[in-house]
Amino acid sequence: MDFDFSSLFAFLLFGVTIGVVYGIVALGISLIYSGLDIVHFAHGEIYMFGAFFGLVFSHTMGFPYPVALLLAMVCAAVLGMGIERVFYRRLTKGGGGYTVAGMGMIICGFGMSIVLMNIAFLIWGAAAEPFPVDLGMPFQLGDITLPKSYALTAVVAVLLMAALHYFLKKTKLGLAVRAVAANKDIAYLMGINVPMMISLIFGLACGIAAAAGVLIGPMQSVQVEMGYLMLLKAFAAAVVGGFGSLPGAIAGGIVVGIAENLGAAYISPNHKDIYAFLLLILVLMIKPSGLFGIVARVKA
Amino acid sequence: MTAIYSIFGRISETIEKLAAIHRLLPWILAFALLLPLPQILSALFNDYYIYLANKICIFILLSVGLNIVKGFCGQVTVGHVGLYAIGAVSSALISLHFGWSFWLAFPIGILAAGLAGIVVGLPSVRLEGAYLALATLGLGESVRIMIAVTPLFGSSTGLLSIPAPTIGSFTFDSYTNYYYLVLAAAMIGIYLSFSILRSATGRAFMAVREDTVAAAVHGVNVTKYKLLAFVISALYAGAAGGLFAHMPPGYIHHNNFTIIEMVTLLLMIVLGGIGHIWGGIIGAIIVTIIYDQTLEFYFYQPLLFGLTMVLIVIFMPRGIGGMIDRYLATKKFIASQEEKSNAAS
Repeated sequence: MDFDFSSLFAFLLFGVTIGVVYGIVALGISLIYSGLDIVHFAHGEIYMFGAFFGLVFSHTMGFPYPVALLLAMVCAAVLGMGIERVFYRRLTKGGGGYTVAGMGMIICGFGMSIVLMNIAFLIWGAAAEPFPVDLGMPFQLGDITLPKSYALTAVVAVLLMAALHYFLKKTKLGLAVRAVAANKDIAYLMGINVPMMISLIFGLACGIAAAAGVLIGPMQSVQVEMGYLMLLKAFAAAVVGGFGSLPGAIAGGIVVGIAENLGAAYISPNHKDIYAFLLLILVLMIKPSGLFGIVARVKA
Repeated sequence: MTAIYSIFGRISETIEKLAAIHRLLPWILAFALLLPLPQILSALFNDYYIYLANKICIFILLSVGLNIVKGFCGQVTVGHVGLYAIGAVSSALISLHFGWSFWLAFPIGILAAGLAGIVVGLPSVRLEGAYLALATLGLGESVRIMIAVTPLFGSSTGLLSIPAPTIGSFTFDSYTNYYYLVLAAAMIGIYLSFSILRSATGRAFMAVREDTVAAAVHGVNVTKYKLLAFVISALYAGAAGGLFAHMPPGYIHHNNFTIIEMVTLLLMIVLGGIGHIWGGIIGAIIVTIIYDQTLEFYFYQPLLFGLTMVLIVIFMPRGIGGMIDRYLATKKFIASQEEKSNAAS
């Protein structure tokens, strides 16, 4: 069997770009987890809603693509904050973290994801909607043609990552968010508006997820069922990178993307969606802390 | 409302009295009472309701199993339907490809589900609880995709004409006949779940649920019991899957194991009250009937079920079982107070 290095390189490249998108969604999940100690199960649906928002803004309303991207992020952030305010707040008020409230939170998030999926289905239907964006001619890298949307994804991901890092590490508001993540009671005592910060965390995470949705639109079509699988892959990315670690989320996403593309190319393309799960189990078995994470072992 | 409550009170009193004579007596009596249900149903309504009774029994088995890991041990799993699918497919495959009888294929299906439970559960339960939720979410969807794309597991056509179980010359090939099998299985499942709850293992589960650190201090091996609870519930799911696969007309398809099935399963537990066995059974009966009656509004079903689940978690976290428990406790308290005041006067 002859081995084609340029096609291997192409698979790697596509894996990295798709993995960056997984990483962006995982970034939001990690952000919520590190801030609130809860796993947000409806995050995939927020991402799906973001993609549909982007589609509506750029095609139905005719905004240019970057504007549509920003508008979709804002809309999804508002949606996420609204859900948090109305539903999750009642549960997290009783004490977040992985307690009985944590179980309620997971069930609530799961229910919410079904509800959002159904609402999107009732609005937009089950068919996959194409999301063509004219970005110009693809790049030529040797034998490989790289569509510009892939490059754009990588650029936007790096920008988002840098902006988030700047926000969390350099601004006063970011300091408040980190304080809430470290200890809510003491943050309260220091005069930080904790509920407001929690809303902010949710808004940020959901906005980031929507950005991922709009970015993946031109690569794949937009459909209602995309959120559920994305959630699975983003979780795998978050675990591979180390749960709660922000750079780890992107790195994990890239690993998952590469594994998925190589698996689809060399093992079996039909089972493409399963490799993320296999990777998840493998990482949990061998190195549960992930690439950059701290071991989240329960002290018992 | 009070009438319903007092019926439950009366029933539980009668059960206690019967159990005082012999602990298996209420179970045998309940089995005997429920045995002619298909005849009653076909006389009152039509044969379709016998199929519904079969389905309810299978879902009771699933919900009781899920309650062990969720209610007793406090671990969240959201991909139980994957284990159910593994049990169904492996049992069906063994009886289709090797031609082995149901009585051999069924236990192998249960074991396969238990094995999958160990593979997924072992790495996840060692870590913080949320990991199990993540891993099971992946399991549920991956198993469905695996079935959907692999021709051996039926892919898009599904597995057809899975043989019905037989004992001697008696074949469980109609819904009425099959009902006796699933009823017995559901009864055994409920009974075993009560036995587990009463045993030292059950108490260890509850200790882990209440406080992992305190449980560890008292010498409970937390990881072991978390895994054990998960595997036991996986065995339940495998049993339910095997029974589902061999149910006439002996047909399984990957659409039987979608996310909506998972939601109905979760809703049963949540509606009935997490950690309440009878509540889970009541939840299974209610949700299965509602699911079946609203099939024509298929497109709105997830909305209905998901929203109900969210609202119950927020406003009624103890579920129906919790409500019944509270009523009985209040009644007992009032009775004891009255007794006291009578004694004083």
